[in-house]
Amino acid sequence: MPAFSGPLQALVDELGRLPGVGPKSAQRIAFYLLKVPGPDALRLADAITAVKERMTLCTRCFNVAEGELCAICLDDRRDSTVVCVVEDPRDIVAVEKTGEFAGRYHVLQGALNPIEGVGPDQLRVRELLARVDAEGLTEIILCTNPNLEGEATAMYLARLLNPLGLTVTRIASGLPVGGDLEYADELTLGRALEGRRTVEA
Amino acid sequence: MFLVHLEITGFRNLRHLALDLDPEGTTAIVGPNGSGKTSLVEAVGYLATQRSFRGAPRDALIARDSRSAVVRGLTDTDGRRVSIDAELRREGPSRTLVNRKPARRRSDLLDGLRTTIFSPEDTETVRGGPAARRAFLDDVLALCDVRQAALVDEVERVLRQRGALLRQAGPRPPADVLVTLDVWDDRLARAGTALADARDALVRSLEPIAARTYRAVAGRPDDLQLSYRRSWEGDLGAALAAGRTDDLRRAASLIGPHRDEMDVTLEGLPARTHASQGEQRTAALALTLAAHRLATDQLGSPPVLLLDDVFSELDPERSALLTASLPAAQTLLTTASPLPSGVATAQVLDIRVLQEGAA
Ligand SMILES: [Zn+2]
Repeated sequence: MPAFSGPLQALVDELGRLPGVGPKSAQRIAFYLLKVPGPDALRLADAITAVKERMTLCTRCFNVAEGELCAICLDDRRDSTVVCVVEDPRDIVAVEKTGEFAGRYHVLQGALNPIEGVGPDQLRVRELLARVDAEGLTEIILCTNPNLEGEATAMYLARLLNPLGLTVTRIASGLPVGGDLEYADELTLGRALEGRRTVEA
Repeated sequence: MFLVHLEITGFRNLRHLALDLDPEGTTAIVGPNGSGKTSLVEAVGYLATQRSFRGAPRDALIARDSRSAVVRGLTDTDGRRVSIDAELRREGPSRTLVNRKPARRRSDLLDGLRTTIFSPEDTETVRGGPAARRAFLDDVLALCDVRQAALVDEVERVLRQRGALLRQAGPRPPADVLVTLDVWDDRLARAGTALADARDALVRSLEPIAARTYRAVAGRPDDLQLSYRRSWEGDLGAALAAGRTDDLRRAASLIGPHRDEMDVTLEGLPARTHASQGEQRTAALALTLAAHRLATDQLGSPPVLLLDDVFSELDPERSALLTASLPAAQTLLTTASPLPSGVATAQVLDIRVLQEGAA
């Protein structure tokens, strides 16, 4: 039996589906939106619509993009022969903040995780391999998260990439074990990038 | 490190109680069976490890009519006070604050409180299956060193990932799936070897202390021996490669640290099958006290010793021998029967009075 009628309950239900929003918070936000002036609430609705309509994934690196290519792929000052492989677009933000990297990216959209049914086919692995020749890559930096799944993914990619004859490096550990790049501070991640080493698969 | 204050709300059958503990001596909690003494020990254990030492799910720890349980502790390490506040919730994530900041990693928690627990159920360490002995060893490793705690977690997670992959792969998977299996095998070989090495070293350190303690508590010169036995020979990576066909066919990891065993023998015979119940109980106690002693040496100060109902099944003679064997450490013990003579207590508290006083 839903607690509220019609549209309000629908809003509470939708908000409750958002990550990190429990039933209590969903109610609180719904009642807040009910109370605020119309234009304020509509700005949120418009922002959601705009993101869904205009933002896509970059056809080259799978970063978020407004158009076919993302801002980083469009920037011709960046080194097009070095690619940093990350799990998630938010990891690009973390690496960019270090100021230590001037190449391009490749977003896998996840990490190997059999428990959650994620294998190589669910990740943008084939697309990464295709970029090696197409873009004349000379170095690939594996910047997956320093946790178990990220390490396994890095090792898997190293096994596929090493025979292709380019330099494959892994960010140096020094990042907290079990950590996410998203939470690594700039200094630590910067040092980890600087101290990257080649990986033997 | 001492536990100086404890407060429990809505944990199992404990509605609310608060008590100050004697920092160096023994606090005895008395009361009839079912009055919540074990729950109190379980709550302190939860504060240290974020789980029930009895393996109970979190939901079972929250009082039946309550949505959450709260356990608060205050520890003192050389005058430095650390507060630990654990909130268990029926819905939503449970959390633990150390000095009012959310604890994100195990290392944050080990900073606060370390405990060694012995309860009647721990006889399973000797009488039960190999899993009970592996769990005992892993708990001691985690207690002594946060890196070893991380290693225990990692092996468990690798095994879950590898198991999931084996179940998805089927008996004859294509080559690209085998490459991902290679990766998980490599992780398992590294972490699994490290864990087996750590357990092996631990067993070697435990054995002389446990043997001595057994003789002291049993009052007999019986020989207790421990040895760690791996489920593979030679290199784990090579063994996993050799066993791959079997693993794929059975869709399970058939070798690894999760199939290892610690053999416990008394006078050369397996204690699991050949020892009497009393001997098994004494051997389990000896293992726990040896672990406490080892942790004390490695950490530089003793963990809080929690003894739940430890005297109930011991005759007066063995109770006296056990009392004489107890380490110099802050101790919290519970008993339904009168305390045996010779147990020096700093305070004796009735759990029913504690609950009424706080209500
Ligand atoms: Zn791009």
